[in-house]
Parts: sequence; structure tokens; C-alpha cells
Amino acid sequence: MRTRKNSKTTTVKVKYNLGEVAQCYGMIGLQIIGFLVITLYPICWAIRLSFFYYNGLPSSQNFIGLENFVTMFTKDADYWRSWLTTIQFALIKLPIELPFAMFVALLLNRKIKFKGFFRSLFFLPCIVGVAVIGLIFSNMFDYYGIINAWLCKIGIIETGITWFSHKWSAMAVLLSGAIWSTFGVNTLYFLAALQNVPQELYEVAMLDGASKFTMFRKITLPTMAPVLQVVVLLSLNGTLHTNEYVLTMTGGGPGGSTYTVMSYIVGKFVPGFAGNSINIGYGCAVSFVTSVIMAVIAIIYMRTTKKLSNTY
Amino acid sequence: MKYKSVKQTHKIGNLIVYAILTFFAIIVIFPIVYSLAGSFKSLGELFINADKIFPEKATIDNYVTVITSRSIRLGRMFLNSMYYTVANVAIMLIISSLNAYVFARGNFPGKKIIFVIFSALMFINMGSITVYPLFEMLNVIHLNSSLWGLILIKAFGIPVVNIYLVKSYIETLPKELDEAAKVDGCSFAGTFFKIILPLLKPILTTVAVLTFNGAWNEYLMPSIFTMSNPEQQTLMVGITALKQSGEAAANWTVVLAAANLSLIPTLVAYVFGNRYFVSGLAAGSVKG
Repeated sequence: MRTRKNSKTTTVKVKYNLGEVAQCYGMIGLQIIGFLVITLYPICWAIRLSFFYYNGLPSSQNFIGLENFVTMFTKDADYWRSWLTTIQFALIKLPIELPFAMFVALLLNRKIKFKGFFRSLFFLPCIVGVAVIGLIFSNMFDYYGIINAWLCKIGIIETGITWFSHKWSAMAVLLSGAIWSTFGVNTLYFLAALQNVPQELYEVAMLDGASKFTMFRKITLPTMAPVLQVVVLLSLNGTLHTNEYVLTMTGGGPGGSTYTVMSYIVGKFVPGFAGNSINIGYGCAVSFVTSVIMAVIAIIYMRTTKKLSNTY
Repeated sequence: MKYKSVKQTHKIGNLIVYAILTFFAIIVIFPIVYSLAGSFKSLGELFINADKIFPEKATIDNYVTVITSRSIRLGRMFLNSMYYTVANVAIMLIISSLNAYVFARGNFPGKKIIFVIFSALMFINMGSITVYPLFEMLNVIHLNSSLWGLILIKAFGIPVVNIYLVKSYIETLPKELDEAAKVDGCSFAGTFFKIILPLLKPILTTVAVLTFNGAWNEYLMPSIFTMSNPEQQTLMVGITALKQSGEAAANWTVVLAAANLSLIPTLVAYVFGNRYFVSGLAAGSVKG
């Protein structure tokens, strides 16, 4: 019985069942077509056009070699400023949000009542869309809004701050809204990871008289390292790709100073957001370089953290 | 004696924990409560009593205005959002389960390479510039700048994360099920529809809830695809336009009311699908 079953599976492996192959391709057919037409073709289209001048009219297409790239690297200060903003945004957001999320996850992992209630509550902002966050936070940080009113009342400021007319005050609003909206999901990730740490380890350490902090450093962090790596990658990746959130909150203002790189591309080159006379070819070159830089950052991150998790 | 003191410190410790958690909870809930309370203020009160969260004289005028206003057309936008979201969920359920099943159980040449290529898509992203070639293609079939065009594109999309999610769920199901079905004369596709699909209910609920939330809240693509067709604006596009129209400053309370109304469907989904939200997101992170 057993040998017959084995031989059957091996013959299936060597020789494909034609009917099954046809059914497989039929079931993923849309996605294979989609990959070629919706994904691959547009990428090739954009890479090709990055060597062209093109303003949307077919007759304007004009091969200009590397000129788009030369302009980008030598003249386009706005584009590189959007990279600076993106990195500033990530470098402030992650160090605030991740330790707080870890802290709250550690508290929620204790044996307490209302655990489910708190967890649901902390996750609530994650279901609020960027458009609504943009509305609520713009209103709270309005010149006549509640934040200014409170700051005046407790005497920190004398007159209201026009939050959206300076880069760093606008960034502060952006950051508070962004942290507010993604804090919960990171807490959830950490909580899931904490529940996978074997309890016996803590019991042994407790018998050895280890302090809570030592246990956290020597047991919790190392066992969570792989999840931590994923969470930081997801969080970093998400933050670097911050896009529509900036568009709905500040629209890049004041003067384009709060554009992150992805929102900069939308604001400058995408129909409905950009002006009328734009060089789409240049937009393609910018998008191409941006996607390469993003990929390089992800690879560097994974390389360096691999070393880190090996040392543990 | 010693036992008692340990218990007491534990009690005090827990009190501190509750205090900290409540503090965080207040911060987290504040913007939502603020928006809710603000929508019941009159515009005058919003500006004069800016330092108060709750209205002194609550009014539902803002809701009446936003629902009956001819220029805002909330009902129309709500309907657009609804059919866009439902279409997204339906498409997502079909393609994520079909693809997951084929990659988990199928046996066909090119399986590995196709799966690797699909997975690599997570890291290759040319961003929004690719709407130009997509528009060109949709133009050919006269579907450009419409929500239906965007839905069509979604049907051809490759939702890598959800395929992973469902695939790893299918891999936990015993293979004997498939083999028994095969013996009974079920084809490969028949096995999926008769045996596997009914078992996928929990994971597909998770996918549905996450997709519902994502599609309802989507802003960028719907706004690009409806820019020349305001009839088809979804709620998120519409209320953002409302905010940027400049009218908003004179209309903040109405805008807040619209924002709150737009939260209702996702809130309902969250209340009923809370468990699935949590399990789906947690699985996504742990499995990477």
C-alpha cells in the first residue's frame, strides 16, 4: 500500500498531469496577464521614457539621452530636499513610536484585566483613513483650534502658532498624526511576538534572581530579534513610502517643504495633482532613481540586521 | 508575611500599569472624541470655545447640512465608496484564494519561478508615475478616468501579502483531503471549490475585513482616477476636496460631521471583525 502510494506521487512529480497544469494556469491566468500588462509593461514604459522629453502629447516625445538624470543630480534641489525631509521624518518617527509601542506591549502582556479592551482601543486609529486623519489633525492644529487654545491657556505660548506655515511646526503635526495612526499596529506586532517567548525562560531567570530589566535585555529582546527586524523593516519601509498622508494633511506645504519623496513625485508629476506643463519623462527618471534608492536602503537594512541577529 | 508584601507590591504595580495604559488610551482616543464632539458644535462655538472639547449647546445641524447639501452630495459619494469597496473585497477574495491554492497545492511547470517573480513585486515599486501607461491602456477600452477602470486594474493585480496569508493557511490543511477528493474523481479545480474553499472561511474573513478597511480608506488612486469625473468621487476623495476647497475654514463643523459619517462603515467592520483584524495583522508580521 505504502509503496504504491509513493510510486504514484513520484510519477506525478516527474510527469505533469496535463489537465491539472491547464487548470493551474487557468486559475492564475488573470495574474499572469496582469503581471505582464499592468506591472511589467508600465515599469518598462517608465524606464524607457526616462530618456525622453515628453509632455503628454505623442508628438512631443523626444529622445534626450541622459539629460533628465543629469538635471536631477545637478539642478533639482527640490527633489533632494524631499529625500532629506523623508529621512528626517523617519529618523524622528521610528525612535519615538517603536519604543513606546514596545513599552505598551510589555504592559499589555502582563496578567491584567481589560486587556482586550485596551488592545482594541490602541488599534482603533489604524482603521481611520489618511483623509480623515488629515481632516481631524488639521482642525486640531488650526490657528483657532484646540491645541493653540490649550497651549495659550497653560501659558506656553502667548498667541497662536500658525502650524502649517513653517516647516518644522508642520512636520510636528505630520509626525504626531503619523505616530498616532501607526502606533497601535506596532503594539500589536510586539504583543504577538511577546506571546511567543517561552515562559520557562523567565521562571528560570527569576530563580537565578535576575532583575526585570536584565530579563528584558537577556531574554525578551534576543528571542524577539527576528520579529523586531521585520517590524522595523515594515515600519521603515512604510515611513519612507509615506505618500497620500502628506498630500491630505499639508499638501507638501508650506512651499513644498514637507513633501516626502513619494508625495513629491505625486505632487509634481501625477495628473490631478501636478500642473499642466510637466515633463513626464523627467518624472519617470525621478521615479526610477527613487525606486532604486528605496531598494538599496531595504537591502542595506537587511544585510546589517542579519549581522545583528547573528551576534545574538 | 512575606507573601503578603509581594502581593501588595504586585497590586501597586498593577495600579501603575492601569494608570499608564489609561493615559495612553486617552491620548489615542482623543482625536476621535474631539472630532465627534466638534461635529455637534455650532461653528461659532468651535471658534469661541476652542479650548473646550464638548459643546455647551449640542446641535445636529451639521449632520443635517452635510446630508441634505446639494453641493456636497454625500449620498452619491457614499454609494461610490460602497460599490468600490465591495468590488475590491470580492476581487480580493477570488484572486487571493485562487492564487494561494494554486501555489500551495498545484503541480505545474514554472510554479517556482512565477511565485518568486510575484513575491519580488513587493520590493519593486515605480510609484504613481505608472498611471500614465495605465491610462493609455484604459483609454483604448474607453474606461479611463473612472472608478471602474481602477477596479479592472485591481482584478489583474497581484496582492502578494494576502496570497501569502491564504497560502500558509492552506498549507496547514491535511493533504489527505485533496487526495481523497482526487480518488473520488474530483479535478484539481473541483477539489478547490468543493473541499478547500469551504475550509478557508476564517482566513478569508480576515482578508475581507482588511481589504474592506483598506479600500474604503484609499485616497490616492481613486482621486487620480476620478479627477475628471467628480460624479464618481469616493467619500475619502470628496471630503479631502472639501477641506482643500477653502470653504472648509467657514465650514469646519460640517467637514467634521462628514468625516465622522465616513468612519461608520469601517467602525462597524472593526467591531464585528476585531478578532480577524488582529489575527491577520499578527500573522503577517510573525511570518514576515
